[in-house]
Amino acid sequence: MGLTDVLFGGRKRLKGAKLDKLFALSTAQITLETELGLRSAGVAAVMGKPLSAGEFARAEQEIDELLGVVAQTSGSEVRRRSDSYGYQWLVVRDRDFEDLVTTVHLVASEFANRGFGDRLTAALFAFEGRDRTTYLIYGFKQGTFWPFVPTGEGQERDNPAELRLKAELEKELPIEPDLTKWLGLFDAPLD
Amino acid sequence: MRRKAYGRDFGLTSRMFLTIFLLGALYVGFFALLLQSGASIGVMVVILGVFAFVQYFTSDKIALASSGAKVVTPEQAPDLHAMVDRLCAMSDLPKPRVAVIPTDVPNAFATGRSPKRSVVAVTEGLWKRLDPPEIEGVIAHELAHIANRDVAVMTFASFFSNVASLLIWFGGGLGRNREGPPIWLIALVVYFVSYFLILALSRYREFAADRGAALVTGAPENLMSALQKIASDMTRIPQRDLRQMESLNAFYIIPTNVKRSAATLFMTHPPLEKRLARLAAIAQEMGKPVSY
Repeated sequence: MGLTDVLFGGRKRLKGAKLDKLFALSTAQITLETELGLRSAGVAAVMGKPLSAGEFARAEQEIDELLGVVAQTSGSEVRRRSDSYGYQWLVVRDRDFEDLVTTVHLVASEFANRGFGDRLTAALFAFEGRDRTTYLIYGFKQGTFWPFVPTGEGQERDNPAELRLKAELEKELPIEPDLTKWLGLFDAPLD
Repeated sequence: MRRKAYGRDFGLTSRMFLTIFLLGALYVGFFALLLQSGASIGVMVVILGVFAFVQYFTSDKIALASSGAKVVTPEQAPDLHAMVDRLCAMSDLPKPRVAVIPTDVPNAFATGRSPKRSVVAVTEGLWKRLDPPEIEGVIAHELAHIANRDVAVMTFASFFSNVASLLIWFGGGLGRNREGPPIWLIALVVYFVSYFLILALSRYREFAADRGAALVTGAPENLMSALQKIASDMTRIPQRDLRQMESLNAFYIIPTNVKRSAATLFMTHPPLEKRLARLAAIAQEMGKPVSY
């Protein structure tokens, strides 16, 4: 929160999305692959908060348009999903990791350009490790990443593994310093 | 018998009394200087009276309201109630009310001006992430606070420091001082000195409660592992889903900022290493040395 916000009572609206730090992930790819043994699963997603009823009709149309734009400008495959919480997911598939990150950024900035930037919640990147899937979550409000390693049993996650990832990646990625914000995304509709 | 159950530590007790004595001396001096500077006695008595009343009679309600704790019945939380029942029986205390705080971060507190009117509150995170013997250690620690009447002691100790902080702001209007330093300056000095004395006192009470918990459960090692778990980074990572949290947060008036409240808590608590070292020493006394 800036000084002007304090003085003039800003932040009446939700925080806009911070997109610029997303590209740090492309640079961290080498560390992820060679040192941590985590290969991109070729899939990522942008997810956002449900919209109010009035905005919904307009959003439907905008998202379809957006998908058209993305399909034209990138070679990635983008699909729409929703989950039991009523969140909208735009699932991106691309074998090439750099293209994957670029498309995720494109989807997010298209959202922001159409005035839905404050609806963006998180981006999710899946990686294949030795025996299970590891995720990196990017919080659009915070502009930081955090690791998410579900064990597969209910809503349990492997906290020691996550903290190890934090230590390994801290130099290359802006990792969320406040651990209480490391919220998980269980059963993400990435298929 | 109750005194016996919670044990005594001569060094700790004498340091506690020294701190209380210093605080008392400070306040007597403060009061004398105020009178000398020409503050009217009537105003002082009214301020003191209102303060004492509010602090003493609302401590439990304020603590419950500000933490969002909900008092639970034995039907709602049978296991937790059974644990509190057992520990109260062992330490010969009337059973306090039991409350649950809906946050993921493991923590607990006790409040209330007397053992009969007290409340023990634990967070959902404490219940989920710690093993039953560890939870027992934490609750025994909170019950020791109740048995030691720490709310009353700390309210009493911080009472004059609150008055001093009030006088820093409004001291100018209380009366003219003929000679010597202005009232706000005296109040400022008193406030700072008492602040550190109170923190020291609070840390001694924490050690005393740790000791009490160790003796009642007979297992200092459980409280030790509980403290280590609570302090570790791991427990700060939430267990909930992001989407669940976003909808939940909408219903909180004040956003849940655990980091800030934890920082203030730790100011009043001794460092973890010291607590662990003392608990290890108690374990040694009991003839079951533990390593940590």
